Amino acid sequence: MSRSMVRLHHGPLFLFTLPKKAVKNYELLEHTADIGIRVKAGELAGLFKSAALAITDISAERLKIQYPEKHKIVIDQKADNVEELFVNWLNELLSASAVEGLIFEDIQINQINENFIDAVAVGCDIRNYKVNTEIKAATYHQLKVQKTGSLWQAEVIFDV
Amino acid sequence: MPDNIPLEKIDDYHWRIPRSYKPGMRVDGLVYADEKLLKDIRQDKALEQVANVAFLPGIVKASMAMPDIHWGYGFPIGGVAVTDPENGGVVSPGGVGFDINCGVRLVKTNFQYDDIKPKLKELVYALFSDVPCGVGSKGNIRVTSKEEKQILVRGSKWAVGQGFGTQEDLECTEEFGAIPGADPEAVSERAYERGKQQAGTLGSGNHFLEVQVIDQLYGREECDSLGLNLGQVVVMIHSGSRGFGYQICEDYVRTMMPCLKKYGINVPDRQLVCSPVNSPEAKQYLGAMRCAANYAWNNRQCLMHLTRKAFERVFGTSWQKMGMYLIYDVAHNIAKLEKYEIGGKEKTLCVHRKGATRAFGPGHSTLPERYKKIGQPVVIPGDMGRNSYLLVGTQKAMQETFGSTCHGAGRLKSRTAASRSINSDMLLKELESKGIIIKASGRQTVAEEAPQAYKDVNDVVDVVHNAGISKRVCRMRPVGVIKG
Repeated sequence: MSRSMVRLHHGPLFLFTLPKKAVKNYELLEHTADIGIRVKAGELAGLFKSAALAITDISAERLKIQYPEKHKIVIDQKADNVEELFVNWLNELLSASAVEGLIFEDIQINQINENFIDAVAVGCDIRNYKVNTEIKAATYHQLKVQKTGSLWQAEVIFDV
Repeated sequence: MPDNIPLEKIDDYHWRIPRSYKPGMRVDGLVYADEKLLKDIRQDKALEQVANVAFLPGIVKASMAMPDIHWGYGFPIGGVAVTDPENGGVVSPGGVGFDINCGVRLVKTNFQYDDIKPKLKELVYALFSDVPCGVGSKGNIRVTSKEEKQILVRGSKWAVGQGFGTQEDLECTEEFGAIPGADPEAVSERAYERGKQQAGTLGSGNHFLEVQVIDQLYGREECDSLGLNLGQVVVMIHSGSRGFGYQICEDYVRTMMPCLKKYGINVPDRQLVCSPVNSPEAKQYLGAMRCAANYAWNNRQCLMHLTRKAFERVFGTSWQKMGMYLIYDVAHNIAKLEKYEIGGKEKTLCVHRKGATRAFGPGHSTLPERYKKIGQPVVIPGDMGRNSYLLVGTQKAMQETFGSTCHGAGRLKSRTAASRSINSDMLLKELESKGIIIKASGRQTVAEEAPQAYKDVNDVVDVVHNAGISKRVCRMRPVGVIKG
């Protein structure tokens, strides 16, 4: 296992637009105390990206952009299997988001397999958002990351 | 989805999940509930989780569940699991949870409700303005890296040293505000970074600060001893270790994942990941977890200081003159090494309380003198529309539950279901018509935390009182609510 997080750079000042609440790339799963999601994708990269962006969709609501600067964070993760990699990835994003005060709006995955991910999370200042739900962490409870036929599917429960 | 787990009735308040239910269970499950609460408990997967916890190596007596039990992740919320380190007993970060030392404190005042009623709105707004709350909120109490390390070892003593409280506050805090054995070296840099801006912040979700009024007295002797009367105003603060604790839990769930193989441990859910209490991994976790526990006690001490200051601003007199003394502060997400007599022999056991509260009975050697006679005060928050309680621990709790009781009302509805079905504007109006003023940083939180989303705390407390594992002292109703 390894973990690293590197702030790449503070991007130039420019205005950008995010697609307004596009079709959701995840489904919510019922859980009494916490929040679960199910994501599906044809590729592992798409699965990891959808889950990452679901965190943003669940937790934050974009306000008028006041701090347009974009910030890029490099996230490298290794794990013994794809499920651990998935949980580590989501927790690394949550942790980076809290430490850096960022909401991640895009994910660029450079390299991924079932034991390794090298990606860049692109975020903007949390002050551009109203954060409604604090997600503390992704958990292993009822965790599933599986490939059936040509489709990857993951289910994860977050502690909120 | 209702479960079909076998439950054997022991008496009206005790139910057994037999060890035979699942191969691998080392002990029975023991559920404190009545028939009414069981109907709700059976609606989710909490009882399955009680059975899963019974797999933990070295677990003693039973995997216990309090009447506010509900479905968590790995451990149920409302669970007590005690392991024997001399018998391979483990500690599990999931048995404490991400919000390490989430807990509650209760502060009394000299006011009667009628005294504050004309200024209640002003008071609630002052508290909302002076006590930082909401997701990722940053505190006005700024600490340097060096001070942060001191907080991890000294807990509430750090705040008292800064003038944010008194020696008496420490006496009225579980572990006197600082659990020994905290090891700042076992804390990751990331946890430091995540925690350094959040000292003195309430947080969000189910965390709150409430102005409450005592509306029912039960134990005359305890109320007299604590100086509590009908109509008296008290303040309840519910918060935890914020991002600092989340990061420690995450770090050690990750660290302990290989321990399952290393120590040959078989658990049915990876969130129950654990390591023998005497292993290096467990010792490191306990050292880091205690840092988070101390961070949380200091946090609640700072929050109480800000609360006292807000009262001073509104009422123009000192907190001492307003009688704002701490009754007690309890942790309800923690693992501790505690001494118990088992078969005539004193043993040190590892007690996980995940959504459960310590409830030591009268005479316990670790209690401050002032509480030796009545037992340890136990603070039980309810929901923002109904009630909360003050209880005391009992000898029966020492014998049955390793000095543990419930921790709150317990969720009934998921956050998403509550958000879908509850209109926050209508709810606020309805609560206002009942004399409850609410200030929240998010409307979504109001719907998610609606009374309908919780079990009735009155039902929960009836069970722990009738089962004898704690004793009712008085009941409160909320009049002013600050939500993150």
